[in-house]
Amino acid sequence: MKFIERLTTIDRRIIYIILVIVVVIPLISRSPERVRVMLPVEKLYNAVDTIPKDKVLIIDFEYAPQDMPELEPMGFALLRHAFEKRIKVLALCLFVQPLGLAQKALTQVTEEFNSVAQSNADSIIYGRDYVFLGWQPPPLIPIIGMGTSITNVYPSDYYGNKTDTLPLMKHIKNYNDVALLVSLCAGSIPRSWIAYAQNRFGVAVAAGVTAVSAADFYQYYQTGQFTGLMTGMKGAAEYEELVETRLGIKKSRKASEALPSLTYGHLVMIAFIIIGNVGYFMQRRRRK
Amino acid sequence: MKRTFPLILVFIFGIIGIITFIIPHPIVQNLDESIRNDILKILVAFALVLGLGSLLKVHMDKIKRKRENWKYSWILIISFLVSSIIGLFGGVEGAGPLRTSIGSFHFDIQTLYENIFMPLGATMFALLAFYMASASYRAFRARSYEATLLLITAFIIMIGIIPLGEKISPHLPSFAQWIMTVPNVAGQRGILLGVALGIIATSLKIILGIERSWLGGGE
Repeated sequence: MKFIERLTTIDRRIIYIILVIVVVIPLISRSPERVRVMLPVEKLYNAVDTIPKDKVLIIDFEYAPQDMPELEPMGFALLRHAFEKRIKVLALCLFVQPLGLAQKALTQVTEEFNSVAQSNADSIIYGRDYVFLGWQPPPLIPIIGMGTSITNVYPSDYYGNKTDTLPLMKHIKNYNDVALLVSLCAGSIPRSWIAYAQNRFGVAVAAGVTAVSAADFYQYYQTGQFTGLMTGMKGAAEYEELVETRLGIKKSRKASEALPSLTYGHLVMIAFIIIGNVGYFMQRRRRK
Repeated sequence: MKRTFPLILVFIFGIIGIITFIIPHPIVQNLDESIRNDILKILVAFALVLGLGSLLKVHMDKIKRKRENWKYSWILIISFLVSSIIGLFGGVEGAGPLRTSIGSFHFDIQTLYENIFMPLGATMFALLAFYMASASYRAFRARSYEATLLLITAFIIMIGIIPLGEKISPHLPSFAQWIMTVPNVAGQRGILLGVALGIIATSLKIILGIERSWLGGGE
């Protein structure tokens, strides 16, 4: 009787300690896990890879610190891919919280490229290769407004520069000059991009979302409204895998390094759910 | 008039919002652009000031009346003022007129964001993993046919999205993907269609003045 009772009444602190151990130890060892790339991520990679020179990629950074472990590696991998292929990037945020994280990703990836650049042409230069448009509330204004004129919606960039004076913005007027828009978001913003930017102006949209919200977005991928889809840490690891194997960029792969923690975390949760259910059924049988 | 004027405004702007999606004529499109780029921005700025003002007022009041946990309100007010001053006058990464470094010690808005906001936000969310593990152990029981189905599906997805799934069977990740793209999509799409129809009905009721609860008070 005591044993059965124990199965259903394990102290929560024991669960917490076991979870800490299985999550932290693999993070210390930092050994990236290889993953098989699934079709939704491959489609996104191919869409970015085939962006013509005269068009831009818009990256909508919508992740806050709580979503960072899953979505930040996606941002890094996308930026590395775009900069390696010399694809022009426009970065923006529709909410204020992600601004600092977007700035961090742009600065860090730019530094990675510039630290090995041999010349000005090799370097990633602000205003020429990418522009950070910053934040313009409310979200609907930039989503619809950029269909007519990007510089009208963003008269100045995140750093206070007049956008119409930046070399990149001289050729980029509106969604007609945008090959793909990728929204990295934990909320419902990718839906707004589809409803207002894609339906009205025909811009191609893809998304990177957290695993917990993935179920809400597969329907848009299935209909082809999303060109590609990255979901959770595994989706980020798949994109990192593609960037490393196809482009030969060997940089820190945060999502791939965190996958062992995710694996053991999931296994611990499954084990506790099974233990709880075994105890529950044994108790029920005894009562009968 | 107090109630009629807002109703007229909602009707006019609601109709304009709809027709811009249907009529591509430049007059309508320019009007739409002007509403979005000029009027809406001003309204949002007012809303922002009102929101921040209200936040400060609530916490000042809490301190004044010494309500429960009133001391934490000081932290909010001080953090609000410090980050506002540094953000407004310090510029991004210390590019503004306000000096945001003493020697090698930087306190510009990006440094504050990376060293205070990011760890705090990440910590709050990290706690969720522990609550989820504990709650799923206590509550996730195969009590009925539906609950058993949910449990099995959850296990397949949880194992299918980790590299171990691939090692168990190469079909497992594909099966997890199939669950997400077929049965999940069917359910989600049904919900979405229902929600969309509900939104259309509610929007029309508000625009036509049938639904008036947003005006406040009872009628």
